[in-house]
Amino acid sequence: MVATFLSYWSARPARRVDGWSASAVLVCLLILGPILALCLTAFGDSNGLWGHLVSTVLPRYVANTLMLMAGVGALAVLFGVSTAWVVTRYDFAGKALFEWMLLLPAAIPAYIIAYTYTDFLEYAGPVQSMLRDIFGWDRPADYWFPEIRSLGGAMLVMASVLYPYIYMVTRIAFRLTPSSLFEIALVHRKSQFWSVGLPLARPAITAGLALVLMEVVSDFGTVEYFAVETITLGIFNVWLGMNNIVAAAQISLFGFVFILSLLGLELYARSRQRFAGTGRSQTGVAPLRPGFRGQLACQAVCILPLLLGFLVPVGVLLKFVLGGSIEGQASQLMGTVGSSVGMAFMAALFIVLLSSLIVIAATYRGGAVVRNLAVAASTGYAIPGTMLSIGVLMFAGVVDRFWGGVVGDPRASLLLGGAGVLMTAYLVRFQAVGYGAMMSGIRRLPDNMMNASRVLGHGFGDSLRRVLLPLLRGSMLAGGLLVFVDVMKELPITLLLRPFDFETLATYTYQFAKDEMLEEAALPALMIVVAGLIPVILMNRMLRRAG
Amino acid sequence: MFWIFKRVWFRIVCVAGLVSVMGAGQAAAAAEINIYSHRQQFLLQPFLDAFTAETGIKTRVVYASQGLAQRLQAEGEASPADVILTVDIARLSEYAELDLLAPVESPVLSTNIPANLRAGDNRWFALSLRARLVATSKDRVAENAISDIEDLADPKWQGTVCSRKGSHVYNRSLLASIIAANGPQAAEAWAEGLVANFARKPQGNDRAQAKAIFEGQCDIAIMNHYYYGNMLFGDKEEQRDWANAIRLVFTNQGGRGNHVNISGGGLAKHSPNREEAIRFLEFLTSPTAQQLYGEVNYEYPVNPAVSPGGVLSSWGEFKQDDLSIERLAELAPQAQMIIDRTGW
Repeated sequence: MVATFLSYWSARPARRVDGWSASAVLVCLLILGPILALCLTAFGDSNGLWGHLVSTVLPRYVANTLMLMAGVGALAVLFGVSTAWVVTRYDFAGKALFEWMLLLPAAIPAYIIAYTYTDFLEYAGPVQSMLRDIFGWDRPADYWFPEIRSLGGAMLVMASVLYPYIYMVTRIAFRLTPSSLFEIALVHRKSQFWSVGLPLARPAITAGLALVLMEVVSDFGTVEYFAVETITLGIFNVWLGMNNIVAAAQISLFGFVFILSLLGLELYARSRQRFAGTGRSQTGVAPLRPGFRGQLACQAVCILPLLLGFLVPVGVLLKFVLGGSIEGQASQLMGTVGSSVGMAFMAALFIVLLSSLIVIAATYRGGAVVRNLAVAASTGYAIPGTMLSIGVLMFAGVVDRFWGGVVGDPRASLLLGGAGVLMTAYLVRFQAVGYGAMMSGIRRLPDNMMNASRVLGHGFGDSLRRVLLPLLRGSMLAGGLLVFVDVMKELPITLLLRPFDFETLATYTYQFAKDEMLEEAALPALMIVVAGLIPVILMNRMLRRAG
Repeated sequence: MFWIFKRVWFRIVCVAGLVSVMGAGQAAAAAEINIYSHRQQFLLQPFLDAFTAETGIKTRVVYASQGLAQRLQAEGEASPADVILTVDIARLSEYAELDLLAPVESPVLSTNIPANLRAGDNRWFALSLRARLVATSKDRVAENAISDIEDLADPKWQGTVCSRKGSHVYNRSLLASIIAANGPQAAEAWAEGLVANFARKPQGNDRAQAKAIFEGQCDIAIMNHYYYGNMLFGDKEEQRDWANAIRLVFTNQGGRGNHVNISGGGLAKHSPNREEAIRFLEFLTSPTAQQLYGEVNYEYPVNPAVSPGGVLSSWGEFKQDDLSIERLAELAPQAQMIIDRTGW
């Protein structure tokens, strides 16, 4: 009862506008500006194109998108939750290794894995060649082999690089589940997984799944390469094929609203479920030690996603790198590595600071307005990168023209023409990642912690510095590392909004990969993976401490 | 979190990052031009190097495949861009339609580029030509079995034809040329017939179609001519086999000629370095650069005074469809609708 009262008290809106809320609202508006610009575009006249689209391609696009979301979502949850459960609840040979290796696929961009799998599984690839050698087949007509460039193929490869989003958060949730609850399940002979682990981890799983689904909806590279006609591919056909940016903006908002309603449903469903532990020593239940067969099963559960999401694609890339001549490329790439890492680092820092501001203001200061704005501002993740960039460009154009008027020079620019526009776009897109990490961190803190500090006479800023920030350090680091890896991999926004002569590993890879020149693309692609490894390892160290 | 701010390395990285990010956007120094390019950097670089060597003018590039027109539009008067380069007419005319290009009255360009290969108001110029033609299997298709692009819809080729997706700009332009030649109904009937003949779902790029012929998945494919040169003379052995498995067919030689598309460019409306930019466009039509198109990527020159040279000449002359390039762009939306309806 007391806790309920206190939680109400802490969430009560501040009476007057304070600096925290005001700056959080400002940042949210900066993020929402480009999305709004896209909406305004969508209100233009699309010249009756919808009739044509609805009667021809749109039903197919929507059906494909839904199936892709369902398939990737189901597979990613299966991979993410099963591995998270196995590494937290069981003790088996190789567990320490799997724990962090399972995060590795996060470092591989989905479009790269599409290229590598096509190379691996196509007619001339090693798998089919080997089968032909074994069975003596000569022609494609002699046997049936699943086509990797298909809806099913896209589900498999996307799930195998996206499941770490779920694995990571679910693993923390499993670790933080009080051991007493597992013991209760044991006493009542109920399944520890189905009765305790899964229900309590559900908010974490959903948070991860939301990111996965948003990635699926906004993906362009993989679906284009696999010729799976999703809504995103439709946007590009309408925009580039029919010179109709209005209809393209309308289709992208259609997908966007769709994702929002999904998220809204889930938010509603769990609005009354919250769980905060106040004790310190309840968690950390001793893992079970299965027998030999059980250990084999645990290992198999971990090896499968790792194989699909990391070992095979990296193997294919390595084959190209070792087989080709890389001396010419290596020197060019050094500068590119620097700009990639520098950009990703700055973006991570920038986004984590602003997300923290938003999350803290939304939780402890502002009222419903700030909280709703904060949620709205984390939806940019669901918009395909190129369309988002166009929204950012329009928004930046308006800002710059205003600025040009203020300083009296039409050539003056605040955002465009430099890295400002790129940073803005990263913020719009990846705010969801920072926000998610910070929010899940702050949710786990008992409400009365800040209240206690305030009651003891510390001001808000003081309490923040002494109590909240030290406790949120892990979440900030986690958010920062996730954003870092995401920006390293990011392609469409960087490609379109970058300054002159600015090359990241992703854009460098793309100019070759676009033309299916895998040999040339392999080394920079591999470097994206290597650069992603460091944050992944750091993240793992942090996750261990979280438990 | 704050422990991290106290670390020296963290502060150094922050400052270095800030400097590099800010520095990336600095304005151009004198004698420099800024290029927005839809043409891949590695294909463009030889031209930039030759231009800088000849004139001393430096170049800076942003390469992207989509959206640069919207970027230019948003930047408006403040745009630093001087020159736009694209690899097809549809994209180029998008810039013209959005009024992002400035007309260029240059005697050099008018002499070097035939009238049907530049805009009537000189807002854009073709810089090289690409023929979209038919590749057939040397083993499985007789030498003169296919002569026109229309033949690909003949039911006798059922289950043998391969293509990249219809909505790719190269196929869209090809279909636009067929609409121009035969009318929209005939073009749609052709597209239906073509789709009915496919050996597999449209996928991959043009090189992947040659590979599919080599592997026996299909016998006939649609491709741009320069892929053949790149495969045959590139440094990848396996691709030489793919090229050797196919025969190129320049289509409609007894009629309107083979469909050609262009790579091209124009001057940005608010170009801050106008003079240098025009010089760059002129350079691209000069004999040196025109021959470079053949050497770098096996593309045909637009300058009638320049012979294609080397490999390209050895493939022989062919009759080009002399349909105005502008017409292709006008018909592109109609072509996309047919592509949507037929599911190419």
